[in-house]
Amino acid sequence: MAVRRLTLIAFFTALIAILAQLAVPLPFSPVPVTGQLLGVFLAGTLLGGRDGCLAILAYLLLGAAGAPVFSLGRGGLMMLFGPTGGYLWGFLPGVYLSGRLQEGNQRPGAPGLLTTAGATLFFLGCIYLCGAIQLSLVTGYSASEAILAGVLPFIPLDAAKAFIAAVLGARVKKIMHAGGLLQSCAVNSPEAVRD
Amino acid sequence: MKQSITLGQYLPGESFLHRLNPRFKLLSLALVLVTLFFVKTLGGMGLFLALLILFSILVRMPYSYLLRGLKPIFYIVIFTLIIYLFFTKGGAVLLRLGPITVEEAGVIQGAFVVGRLIALVLASILVTLTTTPLALTHGLEFFLTPLKLIRVPVAEITMIMTIALRFIPTLMEESRRLMLAQMARGADFETGNLFRKARNLTPLIVPLFVSAFRRADELAVAMEARGYRIGARRTRMREETVSWRDWVALAASGALLAAVIIAGI
Repeated sequence: MAVRRLTLIAFFTALIAILAQLAVPLPFSPVPVTGQLLGVFLAGTLLGGRDGCLAILAYLLLGAAGAPVFSLGRGGLMMLFGPTGGYLWGFLPGVYLSGRLQEGNQRPGAPGLLTTAGATLFFLGCIYLCGAIQLSLVTGYSASEAILAGVLPFIPLDAAKAFIAAVLGARVKKIMHAGGLLQSCAVNSPEAVRD
Repeated sequence: MKQSITLGQYLPGESFLHRLNPRFKLLSLALVLVTLFFVKTLGGMGLFLALLILFSILVRMPYSYLLRGLKPIFYIVIFTLIIYLFFTKGGAVLLRLGPITVEEAGVIQGAFVVGRLIALVLASILVTLTTTPLALTHGLEFFLTPLKLIRVPVAEITMIMTIALRFIPTLMEESRRLMLAQMARGADFETGNLFRKARNLTPLIVPLFVSAFRRADELAVAMEARGYRIGARRTRMREETVSWRDWVALAASGALLAAVIIAGI
C-alpha cells in the first residue's frame, strides 16, 4: 500500500463521518434520513473492496472508541453491540463484496451505472442480513418479526439512496479521472504495483 | 449540520473501571455480553441490571449519558414491548380489550427482553465512559492483530483513524463553505421534496469529495517527505501496564459467566 492510498482511505473515512451528520427530517417518521449509507456506498464504488473495507473498519473503530461519527452524532460501543449494531457490522462484508463486483474494469467510464447500482443494492442486502440477524439475536424476534421491524420499512428510502450513490459515484469518478486524482485510486497504477 | 463535534464520551475519573487496562476491559466486556445471553430468567436479568447499575453509580455516571445511550434503541424497545405484550400468550390474562388480551407470559417475556436490551447498552456505556478514546483505540487494535494473518494492515488502520479524526473538523468546515458558495450561486438546499433535496446535494458532495481527495494527495506528499513509511515498526509514547486489577476484572467476569451457566438463572 502506498502512502497516497493510505491518506485517501483516511479522508474517505472522514467523509463518511461527515455525510452521516447530514440529516433530513421526515414528516411521517421519527427517524430522519441520514447520509451515512450514502458515504458507505460510495466507499465501495470509489475505493474498491479491500480499501473500502479498511475505510469502513476505521470508521467503525472510530465510532466504537466513542467519536460521534455514526449517524446523528452517535458513537460508543453500544452502537455496535446494541440491537441495531448489525446494520453497522454489515458494512464490512457489504463494502467488500460491492467493491469486488465493481473492480473488474478501471477505465474512466467503467464500471457502468447499472453494475454500480446492482453492486450497491447487493451491498444493501448484506447490511439488512447482518442487521436483521443481530436484531433478532438481541431482542429474540423471530425472522419474520425482525424483517418486519428492521428491514421492510427502510427499503424504499435505502434503495433510493443506493441509486443516488451510484449516480454520484460515477460523477465523482469521472471528475477525479479528469483531474488525474484517481491515478492513486486505480488498482493497477504504478504505485500499487510498486508495493 | 452541526458546526462542530465534541470527540469522545470519556468521563474523567479514578474508579476501578477507569484504571483497568483497555485490553482487559474489552475482554471483560465481551465476557459480560456473552453472559447476558446465558441469563434465562427475569430474576437473573434483574440481578444483572442491578449489578450494572451499581457499577454506574460507582463511576458516577450522569443520567444524561444513560439517556443518550438509550435514545437510539427507544423505538426498538417500544416495538419489542408491543410484540411481546400482545402476541406472546400463556398464563393468566391480565388485561382484556375486546379480542386483544395481554397475558402473563407476554409481560414476563417483554420485561426480560427489554431488560436485556438495557443491560447490553449499559455495559457498553460503562466501558466507553471510563476509557479514553485513545486507550480504547489501542485496545481495539490489539484485538484486530489476528487480522494480520489475512494481510490486513492493522497498524495502518490506526494511522487511518488518526488522520480521519484530524480532518473531520476541517472537512466539516469545508462542506459548510461549499454550501454557502453554492447557495450564493443559487443552489437550494432547503426546499423541495426528498428527491429534489437529494439531487440538490450533488453540487455539494462532488466538490467536497474532489477537494478531500486533493488534500489527501497533499498530505501523502507531506508525510513521505517527513519519512513516513508504510509497514515500519512503531513504538508508543505510553506503554500500557497490566496490574492485579486487570486480572481481578477478568477473573470476575469469567466467574460471572460460569456462575450464570451453572446456576441456570
